[in-house]
Amino acid sequence: MNLDFSQIVPYIPFMLEGIWVTLKFVFFAIILGSILGTVLALFKIGSAKPLRWFADAYTSIFRGTPLILQLMIIYYSIPQLTGYDISPFLSAILAFGLNSSAYISEIIRAGIQAVDKGQLEAAQALGVPYGAMMKDIILPQALKNILPALMNEFITLTKESAIVSTIGYLDLMRRAQVVGADLFRNFEPLLFVGLIYWCLVMGLTVVGRMVERRLKLSD
Amino acid sequence: MIDVRALSKKFGDNLVLSDITTSIQKGEVVAIIGPSGSGKSTFLRCLNLLETPSSGSIEINGKNLTASKKEIHKIRQQIGMVFQHFHLFPHMTVRENLMYAPMKAKGVKKYDAEEKARQLLERVGLAQKADAYPNSLSGGQKQRVAIARALAMEPELMLFDEPTSALDPEMVKEVLEVMKDLARSGMTMVVVTHEMGFAREVADRVLFLDHGVLVEEGEPESFFKHPTSERARDFLDKVL
Repeated sequence: MNLDFSQIVPYIPFMLEGIWVTLKFVFFAIILGSILGTVLALFKIGSAKPLRWFADAYTSIFRGTPLILQLMIIYYSIPQLTGYDISPFLSAILAFGLNSSAYISEIIRAGIQAVDKGQLEAAQALGVPYGAMMKDIILPQALKNILPALMNEFITLTKESAIVSTIGYLDLMRRAQVVGADLFRNFEPLLFVGLIYWCLVMGLTVVGRMVERRLKLSD
Repeated sequence: MIDVRALSKKFGDNLVLSDITTSIQKGEVVAIIGPSGSGKSTFLRCLNLLETPSSGSIEINGKNLTASKKEIHKIRQQIGMVFQHFHLFPHMTVRENLMYAPMKAKGVKKYDAEEKARQLLERVGLAQKADAYPNSLSGGQKQRVAIARALAMEPELMLFDEPTSALDPEMVKEVLEVMKDLARSGMTMVVVTHEMGFAREVADRVLFLDHGVLVEEGEPESFFKHPTSERARDFLDKVL
């Protein structure tokens, strides 16, 4: 066995910095994905045909092609087409946010449709306008049902964020590769960031459980 | 107050309401009875446009419902509705259930909504449950909260869609008491019900529907004693 973790010790601060770099764009991607996903879900259940059509087409494209391809297209095509030199950070937020909104919209759509139709009728009968009804009555109840599925999506996004290493963004994954190239030993740094990814996901899981418990108060 | 003219409703090819014409006066309590599948609930749901009529017209206080889709929120705010399965908002406390619609739909101030909620909960005997969540209440309590929630909008008309059908027998009375109290206070009420006792005692008029047709209508005394139609006689034989 040729394993020597002492060699990566000087590189640990460098790799730990990657946590922040990864979390930074994952955070914004989750926000973008959630907002866009909610809007798309409302399009899908709404009565306006063009919007429904748009949301379906959108989902089909972003679910139907590889994430790494979408990332590359955004990172390389925007400078080529517009001359704007997009940063890896912005490309990553866009690619992950747009991609995950397609999945999130499906989760939210299912959640909305699972809310008892009587809730909608009760709100309508009280004369509550559509927007307020969605925001205050339907979505909060939908959210409770879909929280596990939503957490799943956020966990996937956090882990798959490693793909941004392919466009040179210095995230956790990329840093492990840099260290590996420096030391001519890859296994140790890879194992090290693997552990960090696992910790991040465990953290997310705990947060998800806490939110779930809070939402269960009304039971 | 309500004028229904030649109202028909189709679900696909299925005619569930056929050419119903009737009117309801202010302060009147009308019970709608009939076998299941007779279109009673559909008729009631047409009155606040939860179902869109296929043809015919409904006028409430001179306003044509079917023609004013844009104003439907405003019209619905004047029509309270109580459902068989309550449909309270489960993620809100009882008090919030009562305060939500007045604040959101009518722009009532929080303080006033709270005061109104307090009065109404007292009226239905549930003042001590204001901070409870609906899931912790019994069926009868839920339905009383649902009635209070509808009243919080200060409607001119109350629709009841089989309000006691989902309740355990021992809870029917407490809900009927609240409804009787409401009737005595002069509220206009349209009640779809299987409670013949209630219809007989409280209603000013009974409408009997069968297969989507308004077969017979009249005062409860004469209707229950001497139904004129064959179908009403058959129905009453079965339920009384």
